[in-house]
Amino acid sequence: MKKFNKKDNKRYRNSWEPCASSLPANSKLLSSRRHFFKQTTGLMVGMSFSATVMAKNKSKDSLSQTSNEPWLTISEVQEHLFPRTVTINNLPSPGAKDINAIGYLQTMLHLPSADKEETDFIIKGVGWLNGVANNQTGKPFIKLNDKQRERVLKKISASEAGENWLSTLIRYIFEALLADPVYGGNTKQLGWQWLKHQAGYPQPPKNKKYWMLKRKLIIKDMYSG
Amino acid sequence: MAEYDVCIVGSGAGASPVAYTLSKMGFSVVVLEKGPWLTENDFYKDELACCRRSVYTPSLQDEQHVIEDYDGRDKNGQYKWASEATSKSGWDFWNGNCVGGSSNFMSGFFYRLKPVDFYLRSEFGPIDGANVVDWPIQYEDLEPYYSKVEQLVGVSGRVVKHKFAEPRSTKDFPYPPTIEHPIVEHFDKACESLRYQSLPTPRAILPHTVGTRRGCEYSGYCGSYGCSTGAKGSGRAALLDDAVRTGHCKIIPYAKVYKLDSNNKGAVSHANYYDENGVSKKISAKIFVVACQAIETSRLLLASTGVKHPEGLANNTNQLGKNLLFSAGGSGTGEFYYKDMSRQQGEAFKRRGPFINRGLQDWYVIKDKKFSSHLKGGTIDFLLSHPNPTTRADSLKWDDSGKLVWGEALKQKVHAAFTEKQRFRFEVFNDWLPTDDCFVSLDNTVKDQWGSAVAKVRVGYHDHDLVVGKYLTQKAETVMQQMQAKNINSSVSGSPPANLVAGGCRFGKDPQTSVLNHDCQAHDVENLYVTDGSFMPTGGSVPYTWTIYANAFRVADIIKKRL
Repeated sequence: MKKFNKKDNKRYRNSWEPCASSLPANSKLLSSRRHFFKQTTGLMVGMSFSATVMAKNKSKDSLSQTSNEPWLTISEVQEHLFPRTVTINNLPSPGAKDINAIGYLQTMLHLPSADKEETDFIIKGVGWLNGVANNQTGKPFIKLNDKQRERVLKKISASEAGENWLSTLIRYIFEALLADPVYGGNTKQLGWQWLKHQAGYPQPPKNKKYWMLKRKLIIKDMYSG
Repeated sequence: MAEYDVCIVGSGAGASPVAYTLSKMGFSVVVLEKGPWLTENDFYKDELACCRRSVYTPSLQDEQHVIEDYDGRDKNGQYKWASEATSKSGWDFWNGNCVGGSSNFMSGFFYRLKPVDFYLRSEFGPIDGANVVDWPIQYEDLEPYYSKVEQLVGVSGRVVKHKFAEPRSTKDFPYPPTIEHPIVEHFDKACESLRYQSLPTPRAILPHTVGTRRGCEYSGYCGSYGCSTGAKGSGRAALLDDAVRTGHCKIIPYAKVYKLDSNNKGAVSHANYYDENGVSKKISAKIFVVACQAIETSRLLLASTGVKHPEGLANNTNQLGKNLLFSAGGSGTGEFYYKDMSRQQGEAFKRRGPFINRGLQDWYVIKDKKFSSHLKGGTIDFLLSHPNPTTRADSLKWDDSGKLVWGEALKQKVHAAFTEKQRFRFEVFNDWLPTDDCFVSLDNTVKDQWGSAVAKVRVGYHDHDLVVGKYLTQKAETVMQQMQAKNINSSVSGSPPANLVAGGCRFGKDPQTSVLNHDCQAHDVENLYVTDGSFMPTGGSVPYTWTIYANAFRVADIIKKRL
């Protein structure tokens, strides 16, 4: 099968998926990310103290607890991007929280093989988001109602970098929805059931997660304790 | 004394037939593979592992390419080229770095070349701006090896008569076709009314258990996935496992070969590689075979300078890395809505597992009044759209104007795409003409994780490729229309498919215009052979794998005779 796998959202976003192998495995719009970092620096000035602390706090402790920031905010953004809805064609439709999108994202960003630049990007984006939320309403994102949240997300999506941040979060939500449950998302195969998706077999067992297949990656895991 | 009779760099479709043939004869063989040694016990239907993380391929931070792509024209109308490292662009040119190489992850659409592919220059004449040449061998030279591949690698299918059918030395395939999808019936009917000849596509997939390899389980996840049963004819499952069982073949995984040393006489003496701990090691052998896929083969030889080879091994006439080939063509889709069918038919169309196994070769040579003379055409393959759900869902997050969609609107869109229709797809394969604008060199600035210069690849194409690609795509669309598919969509471009790559060390009679002789031995290095797709001067209008396997078996016989 043909593999036109240029991992560039912009170029291929409106075309069909190539067959042999996926499109953006790890869509990296590095230049727009760098652009984003520049904008973030400017916005930091107007941000509340807590948002600044959140953005800077990347220690392991905060990475591993969903009840802490920035995860609380990211979880709320995920649920807004992919909400639980009562019915689509009279079928229950899971939201980001139902499929453990936040736990899944944490697992992925914790891996030694995770793209550090992308992790920083996702976490710094929370600071930016709250900066915009504060400017618009005087409150951080999680204190806003649904309509206010929508306005804030619309606002940040107007810039390429902001849109890229949301697009990155959606990419991870879809992985949490449709990747094998062994990775912590797709709780009770809710994602597959909702989309009537016929999964392949055999499914990966716990000791064959993708980062366990290459010796180098396992070594990295051991070093990270 | 050399440690081994033969040292093979790489372990895929070009390497495994050599390891198999020579170890069966009792010669000592060592295979150096850059990646891990994964087996059926490591391959699961895991979309993250197969397609969304760098598991079977290196991380682009560790190992990458630099791609030189078109960047408009200058004042004089000459093409300009812009180069970008793939760690920046994300454009991944790796295809499977593990024992068995990318043959682990192929779909196994197996086509032979046709006799005409061996003499395109004589048959169709020169094309301005293209370096088309005849091959130094004929179809008849390769035919016995195509048959050998059917047996040993395992090709399933059935022979039918048609105007471009290749001559065969055996009556039929050794294995019957794999099970077919219900949509095939509609495809065949549509072709019949259009007076096209629907052809069964041979597959390198075993329909039933053979020896230690189990038959296909029809999971519905084949292309780009490693096979969990051994049914897929990867070089590892079909050949290397047997080679290792002879006791004469040693495979060293995580062995990244970075240079071949040559002596004062110009012969190769050692392969230098980094082991998994990054320690440099040497291996000596009588004969060296390089088969690490076209781009990396050219790269390794360019990096292997020596007293007699100041520009790299096999590069004394400056031909190495030139005339790189991809597969030209394009692809398209059409959609079938379950609401337009009976419930029973809808259920049949939804099925995942059985194969389409259909293609068209009515225009392998095009004779049409549109064109002043006959010209080389190609192949159209039909298949179901790839089942990877995450990739598919993620592609739906953009609306028609390129804006991000989220919330309920996104959920509706995804739900509809997944539950309301089946997507049928076609892929067009036609010749990627060899030109001076498509070649491999070494990059001066970007290094891999071991500090070696990475390959720089210029990926220019010939406009003629698009003319042929568009012609075939229009034919493919008529089938979609006849089948009453909705939302028919197609695209033909000069964008190179990174998994269909060949050339760079073309074989030929004249050392001034080729790298290898007709035995795939380097013109100027008597103990060096190249057995991956690099040898191909033209690519044919089909996927290459069967031809790579067949030619590697042919060269293995040549090496066997001299050992």
